[in-house]
Amino acid sequence: MRIGEHVKWRVIALVWAATVFTGMILLWRYKATPGPAADAPSMWPDASSVKRVVGRPTLVMFAHPHCPCTRASLAELATLMSGRTDLTAIVLFAKPEGTPSAWEQGELWDKAARIAGVTPMLDDRGVEAARFGSKVSGQTMLYDASGRLLFSGGITGSRGHVGDNIGRTRIAALLSTGHADRNGSHVYGCALQNPIAEAEVK
Amino acid sequence: MASARTVDERAHELLIEHQQTLYRQTDRLFAGLMLAQFAFGIGIALLFSPAAWEGKVSTINMHVYVALFLGGLISGLPILLAWKRPGAPITRYVIAIAQMSWSALLIHLSGGRIETHFHVFGSLAFLAFYRDWKVLVPATIVVAADHFIRQQFWPESVFGILNPEWWRFLEHAFWVVFEDIVLVMACLVGVREMENVSRSRAEVEALSDSEKEKSKALNAALVELKATQEAQVRTEKLAAVGQLAASVSHELRNPLAAVRNANTYITRRFKDGKEISGDAKIGQFLGLIDREVNVCTKIISDLLDFARERPLMLTPCPLHALTEEAIELLPAHQVLIRNQIPVDLPVPSLDKDQIRQILVNLVQNAVEAMPKQVIVDAEGGGDRSWQLIVADDGPGIPTDATAKIFEPLFTTKTKGTGLGLAIVSAVVKRHGGAIRVETAVGKGTKFIVELPPGGKQLTATEAL
Repeated sequence: MRIGEHVKWRVIALVWAATVFTGMILLWRYKATPGPAADAPSMWPDASSVKRVVGRPTLVMFAHPHCPCTRASLAELATLMSGRTDLTAIVLFAKPEGTPSAWEQGELWDKAARIAGVTPMLDDRGVEAARFGSKVSGQTMLYDASGRLLFSGGITGSRGHVGDNIGRTRIAALLSTGHADRNGSHVYGCALQNPIAEAEVK
Repeated sequence: MASARTVDERAHELLIEHQQTLYRQTDRLFAGLMLAQFAFGIGIALLFSPAAWEGKVSTINMHVYVALFLGGLISGLPILLAWKRPGAPITRYVIAIAQMSWSALLIHLSGGRIETHFHVFGSLAFLAFYRDWKVLVPATIVVAADHFIRQQFWPESVFGILNPEWWRFLEHAFWVVFEDIVLVMACLVGVREMENVSRSRAEVEALSDSEKEKSKALNAALVELKATQEAQVRTEKLAAVGQLAASVSHELRNPLAAVRNANTYITRRFKDGKEISGDAKIGQFLGLIDREVNVCTKIISDLLDFARERPLMLTPCPLHALTEEAIELLPAHQVLIRNQIPVDLPVPSLDKDQIRQILVNLVQNAVEAMPKQVIVDAEGGGDRSWQLIVADDGPGIPTDATAKIFEPLFTTKTKGTGLGLAIVSAVVKRHGGAIRVETAVGKGTKFIVELPPGGKQLTATEAL
């Protein structure tokens, strides 16, 4: 009777451990599943309403103002900008059509505004995101002083996860040495526009 | 040898008991922690990542579901085991796995904040509360497995690079193992302390058992002794009754014989039918009958006083005044009696009638010794015992008689019942006191009655 009881609890514990393990695997998969890659223009678009500073490299990040994953992207941007004065950085907060006024204002806007050297800007109806081919919040692009695309990708290692990552490391290397692997990195974040709205803008 | 084995076995039993108590307490502690972590996980998911967005459309964020269902799953079994199987090894192993799983989950839910990584080290320290180093093994395996699997499949999420060296997970695990080493040492020291405490308790219990056995044997001996004493007292009582009966018979026989002789003479004279009014002997014999009957009455009266054991009636009893009363009750005599008891002596609580009887008997005894004077004195009060002294400067008591003077019906006098001092001794004993005699032939005798302190003590004025 007592042996049966022991076996019963051991089986339950094994099933439990396997279920927890499976749950953790699914969570890791979810956290490591990137959004669709951007189709970034190789040169800064002349039609863009966002003006880059000529003679300085410009970093532009596209953000959803309410995406919790973007909190990590902004934290990584703050790390990247720390002590740096040779870079102009802009965070474009998408405001889909039909959203109320000041919808883009919030914790993430304020967070971006507090980073030295970063300017938060409104991307009304996601026009600039569409122009730059960006689809996912956290998409970051680096253009050199002449407006040539150096890097396009995300700057977090997984969804909403702060810490060392390939994107930030490559951008920092490009700014410091001019040389780095220019392959993009995965972007983890919310969709900037729903498909219907995006189609309408185009 | 057998005793040493018993102490070892008992020490082992106590150690197991102690460990079980500790395991159960820590299980309950972790059950509470599991609930708290579950609530905390849901809280931070709702606070920091309540929704996922697609343009302007929001849905419930995956984090909320993860906190609710995966968090509930992780906490569920440990809580169930802590309830159903407290103290069992499987309970603490499951708790260890669950606790480290919570570390991983909270790191995810908090967006990888570096501060949350300290949860891993805090959890290991918390698990050391069990003082069972084996619990740290599954916990460490969970941490190492988490890093190893993520290194294999999602290396950037852990190391920030795509192709880390194969041993990189060991670098992270090293700090966990370092803490493990410290905690294992702490666990071993803790177990050693518990072993020492258990051994000490077992030794104390063994000593206590031995004392209990001795105490039982002593109690049995005391019961046996008491029974023997009671039997002896009964035997002595029977002997005393026999002796008393013999003594009383002897004392009564002489006066009764005299009465019978006198009665025979008077009866014969009546039967002769002769004139008896001129017979002077008739008057003498009638007087003799009266005296001897009085003697018999006195013997019986004293015997009743000696035998009667009525309860003490303690009342404030001023000794000076009581002595005066006793002196007035004495038959006429020519001896100077000096009452030297201080008038302001504190007043003890005594049985007034019985103490007066003591004084009458002792003073009359002294007077009958034909001294020049008799002195009555007393001292005591407060915390001191009372001393009542009756001294005379008479001829003293022969040494061979002093041992028997308090025995009933023993007397050195030609006219005496031999009950006076026996009555005194009995009354003194009833008061919880003692009587002793100091005597020297040709110099006098001193009777000293000692009564215990206590009872209500009043001043002489209050007593009046």
